Amino acid sequence: MIELDGRLRAVRDVSREAAEQLRALAQAIDTDPDAMQAHLDTEAYAMVRISNTPAKYRESMPGRQLRLLDEGNCLETVVGTLELARGDAGALLACPSPALAGVIVDLLGDERQRELFYTRLHGGRTWTFFAMTEPGRGSDATAMETRLERDGAGGWLLHGEKRYIGNGARGGIGVVFARTGRSALSIRAALVEPALVEPPHAWHGQRLDMVGLRGAALSALRFDGVPVRGDMLLGEHLPVTRRGIWGAIETFNNMRIQVAALAVGTALAIAEYVAEHRKSAPGLQLALARAEAARELVYEAAARVMRDPDNSYLSCAAKLGATRMAVQTARWASGAMSPAGLLEHPLLEKWTRDVCAFEFMEGTGDIQRLHVAKGYQAGDADG
Amino acid sequence: MNAAPTNTAPMNTAPMTVLNTADTALPAAARECERIGRTAGLAAGLAAVLVGRDVAAIAPGRYAAVPAAPDTESPGVRRHSLADREGIVFAECQGERPPASTDLAEIGALLAAVRLGVMRHLLDLAVAHLSERDSGGEPLIRKQLVTGAVADVIAGVELLREQALAQRDPVALGDLHTRIDDLGWQTAKLFGASGYIADHPARALYVSALCANTWSGREGAGE
Repeated sequence: MIELDGRLRAVRDVSREAAEQLRALAQAIDTDPDAMQAHLDTEAYAMVRISNTPAKYRESMPGRQLRLLDEGNCLETVVGTLELARGDAGALLACPSPALAGVIVDLLGDERQRELFYTRLHGGRTWTFFAMTEPGRGSDATAMETRLERDGAGGWLLHGEKRYIGNGARGGIGVVFARTGRSALSIRAALVEPALVEPPHAWHGQRLDMVGLRGAALSALRFDGVPVRGDMLLGEHLPVTRRGIWGAIETFNNMRIQVAALAVGTALAIAEYVAEHRKSAPGLQLALARAEAARELVYEAAARVMRDPDNSYLSCAAKLGATRMAVQTARWASGAMSPAGLLEHPLLEKWTRDVCAFEFMEGTGDIQRLHVAKGYQAGDADG
Repeated sequence: MNAAPTNTAPMNTAPMTVLNTADTALPAAARECERIGRTAGLAAGLAAVLVGRDVAAIAPGRYAAVPAAPDTESPGVRRHSLADREGIVFAECQGERPPASTDLAEIGALLAAVRLGVMRHLLDLAVAHLSERDSGGEPLIRKQLVTGAVADVIAGVELLREQALAQRDPVALGDLHTRIDDLGWQTAKLFGASGYIADHPARALYVSALCANTWSGREGAGE
């Protein structure tokens, strides 16, 4: 069990305050994920964006006193994400912020690229995207088909398709993964600003109408020869083995735990909602106990990734367990309220749809099961 | 919101069926409901279950799932964006709700049969989808984890059909719908993220659970 020290408790408490604001946006964003204008000045959004921006790139905000999350490592980020998702995961993912693209830019970008990326986000009107998954290929990077072809003038032309990309169609800047060749080391990350693409029709983005977690604005992207300047490829300054996707393995373990944290936060929100509206609901204590156990596992997995960044065993086990638990909690809640309870409690109904999304993010349950079994056979369960 | 259903799954194409639900005929009625659910979709199945019944007098909660009718813009009807696309709306049932009745038990059992039929249709689509999609040089349907998941769903359908045919006890019926919810999720997962798009036929599985939520008293049932 992870004891939260003073620093972690501070992250948790600040996130809880912001979570209340996210909760207030939850249903409006679910109803119309495109109508974000009215929400963009929400203080919680500014807090999330600034907290996830390195200090040297933060904008000055005269007259605003923001409480920031002091997140410096995986566990601190997980504690914050879980509490924010307890407000509403969809509203959190709708926030214009550095998000996953920022993690990759921090890891693989040079100073100029970082400054470009973070400066672009000033003002809180610019979404970012992290384009990895492809249609029909899931998130299997080895099968990636999107490619960067040399343009003969020191730059590249981007061709291919991506799918289920959070905020992809409305993103102002983001990262697209693509191959420059056939080897595994040739999968690179390119920084792209869709509004600056010339000709504009080379970039196509369309939001997908999803069943749930609609704030994430999952999108389909298509690239028909999008020009990418040579200096927009991340990692040129790094050794060949560290400049592409394989230099970011730690990030993928980290992302998986973040999804698990979103699942646990949503499950806790569901159980607590039932507790508030129907204190005597059968199974309430059990639902809370299961969600709290999953929270501990997610914390443990984050601590493990900090000790052993390349080991995926516990992050996969946490994602698998947390996602299942969240779906089970939603199903329990559906039956715990009175008949037609989901119609009478639209927020609860929304969460019963949202929890299903976590299954498909950062590898399905089957993928996690394969990794968990492999890790177990390698002795990682005793590590 | 769309007033007209736009899904690609078959629905509302079957002629209205009046089921014989006399005690001795219930198993036959349940099988017919499963057939309608599989071949004509959720709304047509729900219509067959509810035809000739006084919804407002039987429904256990404040809202009851009913097939959309041309006049469903009326104030007493609650809409849901996914249910709209399945041709289903939620009728408001005012006043104190009645205790569990024989009628409600019949609706619960027959709706379960419809839901199993809808699931069979989606499972057929999932197997076709998995047969077309390759991973590592072979169709996904040949991967053991995937084959096992398909087997679990259809084995679950076989078991739950018997429960739908035999049970009228409210607790058993509540449990039946909870298990169908779970099996629906196992089926939806077979489509991967594509089944989580609102225009995908797997949408019917989410709406199916929402319908059951209005027609099944599941207090105490759960995981």
